[in-house]
Amino acid sequence: MEADRAYLERKLKRAFQLLILQRGRNPGVKGWELRRYIGKDFRKILEILSKELSSFGLEVYEVKGPDNSEDSSRFILRFREPPTLYEAEMAGMRIDELAVLAVTIAYINAKQGRASRKEMERFLREKFPKWRVEYSLDRFVKKGYLEQNEELLQIGWRTRAEIDERTLLTLVLSGVSEKVPSSK
Amino acid sequence: MSQRQRNKSIEDILRVIELCRSIRLSSADPFEVDIKEKINILRKLLPEYKFLDELLLDAEALYQLSQIVKLQDEYIKRKAGSMYIDPLLIELKLRLLSKESLANAIVKSLHPIATLDQLSPRGLERAFIYWRDLQPLSERFKDERGITTQPGKIGVEELVTMRILSKEKFEDKLKAVEDELTKVSAGEWIDYYSFIDAGKYEEKVEKAYILAFLVTEGKAEIRIDPLSEKVYLRSSNIKLTSEPRSVAIPVGAE
Repeated sequence: MEADRAYLERKLKRAFQLLILQRGRNPGVKGWELRRYIGKDFRKILEILSKELSSFGLEVYEVKGPDNSEDSSRFILRFREPPTLYEAEMAGMRIDELAVLAVTIAYINAKQGRASRKEMERFLREKFPKWRVEYSLDRFVKKGYLEQNEELLQIGWRTRAEIDERTLLTLVLSGVSEKVPSSK
Repeated sequence: MSQRQRNKSIEDILRVIELCRSIRLSSADPFEVDIKEKINILRKLLPEYKFLDELLLDAEALYQLSQIVKLQDEYIKRKAGSMYIDPLLIELKLRLLSKESLANAIVKSLHPIATLDQLSPRGLERAFIYWRDLQPLSERFKDERGITTQPGKIGVEELVTMRILSKEKFEDKLKAVEDELTKVSAGEWIDYYSFIDAGKYEEKVEKAYILAFLVTEGKAEIRIDPLSEKVYLRSSNIKLTSEPRSVAIPVGAE
């Protein structure tokens, strides 16, 4: 019993270290890597770890890969609850940029997952200055929120990892609350 | 197949490729492409191909059509899923919402990734190896740019060092040309080219070179007539008060 507990603790510790430390260009660990380092039962370990981390406001989240296989899935550690607007601003995100991201993701989703860059820029320029639109789109592509293939914009891996697209669309459709809550 | 028919069939394939590309690179409905009809066009044309470029175009058209089929598959999956909402409705809502509301919407659906980015001993080692093996910029792009030499100046001091001129000889020559100019011009404007023309090309260049020194020192003056573009020269004894202006005067080829 004691040995089992020690074994589990060791695996949990290893899984947490793998997930929290960024080793490559992008955060998170692929399914095949976890199987290699944690073992076949890595999903169970991640489940337990996710429960353990909930008290710290974190969770283990799976981002499906292109072929939907377990090996290509990327597992990440992310915040369980969304931050407040104030916290997001404190983390270096400008309201303007957040708004551009919201419009871009909602627009691409409305267009069945792809929109040409020119079309996107034209739409964004109704609300934002040209320089802000170009700068923000480039930044989002670089950060992984968007993918640009030739002139085509698509949803990037980071959006799938960090943003609950369904919630975003629901909020956009419901008109959100015009009054931005003060969370200071 | 005649040349005219051949051109027409190539045009047909190119039209298929272009249509597929434009659909792929826009958010247009992929079902606008009638795959069956396009495949039939390609099938009809296939037996008539004789050249490799025609077959390559056919392969490209097939590839583009396969990409459209892939898009159609994604389109159906999305439309069947619960994420499908009328695009016009979304566009309208996005237009109506304020920046603050939009920012609020994205923040409410955001779950930031928690990660630690730190330098590991292995990373440090890799960085060191990279830096150690990194060639200077001039070496790195040598093959692409070739070796370039910037144009520079060569002065008397350097010519003396290179033993092309000797200090004494150069000063003697300077004095000789100055005396000659004083004698020939006698304070009047004379033609520059007549003065430097000394028969041999080498001597002509040498005289022009020495004259340049005299002008710089203020012992000779040069005037260029802007209309006739003739160059005039006269001896002078003015003291330069301002920065001298550089003038290029061609002495002609040998």
